[in-house]
Amino acid sequence: MSTFLVSVGVGLATAAILALSAVAFTLEYAVSRIANFAHGEFLTIGAYAAYSGQNIFHQNVAAAALIAALAGMLAGLALNIGLIERFRGRSPISVFIATLGAAIIVQNVLVMIYGAANVSYTFAQGNLHHVGPFLWTTSDIEVIFSALAVAGLLYLLLQHTRFGKAIRAVAQDRTLAQVSGIPARGIVMRTWALAGAVSGFAGFILAETFGSFGPQLGFSFLLLTITATVAGGIGRPYATLGGALLVGLVIKIGGAYSSSAYELEYAFLLLVVLMLFRPNGVFVRRSATAVRA
Amino acid sequence: MYWVSVFTEAGIFAILALGLDMVWGWGGDFDLAFYGYLALGSYMTFVLTIGKPTPPVKYIIGWHLPVVVAMLVAVVVVVALAAVIGSIALRNLREIYFAVTTLGAVSALYVLVENYTPLFDGYNGVYGLINPGQTTLRLTYNGYRIVLLGVVLFILFLAYLLVQRLSRSPYGRMLRAVREDERAAAAYGRKVFLAKYRSYLFGAALAGLAGGLFAIFISAFNPSAWTPQELLVIYAAILVGGRGNPRGVIVGVFVVYVGLIELTRFLPSPASRPDFSPALRQVLIGLMIILVLKFRPAGIFRERPGRDEPSRPTRPLARPFRARVVAAASGATVLPGGRLGSESAGLPARARHDGAPDEGAAP
Repeated sequence: MSTFLVSVGVGLATAAILALSAVAFTLEYAVSRIANFAHGEFLTIGAYAAYSGQNIFHQNVAAAALIAALAGMLAGLALNIGLIERFRGRSPISVFIATLGAAIIVQNVLVMIYGAANVSYTFAQGNLHHVGPFLWTTSDIEVIFSALAVAGLLYLLLQHTRFGKAIRAVAQDRTLAQVSGIPARGIVMRTWALAGAVSGFAGFILAETFGSFGPQLGFSFLLLTITATVAGGIGRPYATLGGALLVGLVIKIGGAYSSSAYELEYAFLLLVVLMLFRPNGVFVRRSATAVRA
Repeated sequence: MYWVSVFTEAGIFAILALGLDMVWGWGGDFDLAFYGYLALGSYMTFVLTIGKPTPPVKYIIGWHLPVVVAMLVAVVVVVALAAVIGSIALRNLREIYFAVTTLGAVSALYVLVENYTPLFDGYNGVYGLINPGQTTLRLTYNGYRIVLLGVVLFILFLAYLLVQRLSRSPYGRMLRAVREDERAAAAYGRKVFLAKYRSYLFGAALAGLAGGLFAIFISAFNPSAWTPQELLVIYAAILVGGRGNPRGVIVGVFVVYVGLIELTRFLPSPASRPDFSPALRQVLIGLMIILVLKFRPAGIFRERPGRDEPSRPTRPLARPFRARVVAAASGATVLPGGRLGSESAGLPARARHDGAPDEGAAP
């Protein structure tokens, strides 16, 4: 029983990071209608930015998080302006392949700068705490709370600001939003900046949780991110949060009962089951748009 | 000898690319699991030929089969795996969903092989298939390498003939019709899933065969040889050469592969940073993918639909499907236009899965 509860606790911490990454991925999809395969690189860039910044800021968590978010934001903007917008009107799969190319470029530029080996990036993990039935380190708790805070802010932003309203309008129909007087291009750009910032922050806490990371950090996290997104419902921010929770719990509980090396296998099994039975997402009504082309 | 080695490897990848092009170029499905098929074909060829493992090394099977037989068995195993993955991924999933599912499949396979040592000895990998048949054929080392190149090129040629023939056949046209508009093809009575599934299995078989040849070529194989990113070079090559055009695909592989190796060989690589030059090569591949997609999505050789002359009698390749195959010839009307591309302007290409051939046709 205690194995189960501990793994649920770890699963919640993983789900928190996953939720940030997946919500950003889903926002990108919502406004641009493309699956961004370079999404993982936003996380990696955030992590490396925080790593590079640590010499200046000396283990100041808040400063590192800010730098990571800023770097991720710039990366999001750059990808949107340099690639996504230029491929507008092309078939989704062409854009998807192009982002895959961008992902490879970013990864290998990072290899050229930092080397292919992992760099160590450790913060004090703090003491273990018993919170209810769960066992968390201080940094686990910080991760969970910061994820909740970001999710809460995103909710306020999407539901209660003009910008959020505009995002939702563009997500529904870009052309219609444009003719209704919404500067769609600018909204899309700002959404990518937002998604990049959230991902950069997620990359920072991911790197901090692992203690060391390499240029593949984000890319190897991408499959989990996409699984979480698809599990919830792609393009739907709140459903995606639920998907992240599901994926985080499944892989950590599965990993706890076999070996943590096999976590990805559980993610894949979950992905297959979802693709076979609920390709539109667990938290989406069945009548929603079909996946089938 | 250096060139022999480069061309052998390029030839092996060209066989893989021909298989991949059937799935992506003709079927329009962006498959990321394909390198896994090459890897599995390679692993199987090893464990079927190199004999029992000596502890602490562990792997399955451990037979002493002749290498040709082993390669055939390996192809069967690969096709079996592709049958499972394809039946999940191809049934209802398209585009990004298909890509993600196949990426998941290859990642799962990768993690399993890397961590579960009794399968293929985990991260250490398998080795020991050193120039099979060299003594029987009484060849020197160099002579053996040249013969191997000849064998690879010959198999590539056979694969090309077969694929080219399939490509021009009513079956190939049906696949393209399905790619261009699945619903229209289904409405005309084509079995969409079966059409895609068959080409998927055939493509996987070519990948498995390439894997077997790769095993002979490099004589050792471990997980670092087949990270999912390796596949991108093949996609870049297909893009450059021309999607859906077998000749273009082969040319693309040789141009991209040999070109890249030769170009980056002369780049300075600081001794302290051995990973610098391979990384730069990957950056160039990424750039090439994006630039070709942006400026010349049809590649060097544009896809040529089989001449619309169904009157020419075509021997059916797969007998049981004769009726359907003959009927499929009428589906050719859905195809993008002829070689000059001018005819294609009038044809609506609705619900394209990937409009690359069409986009290239636009002036």
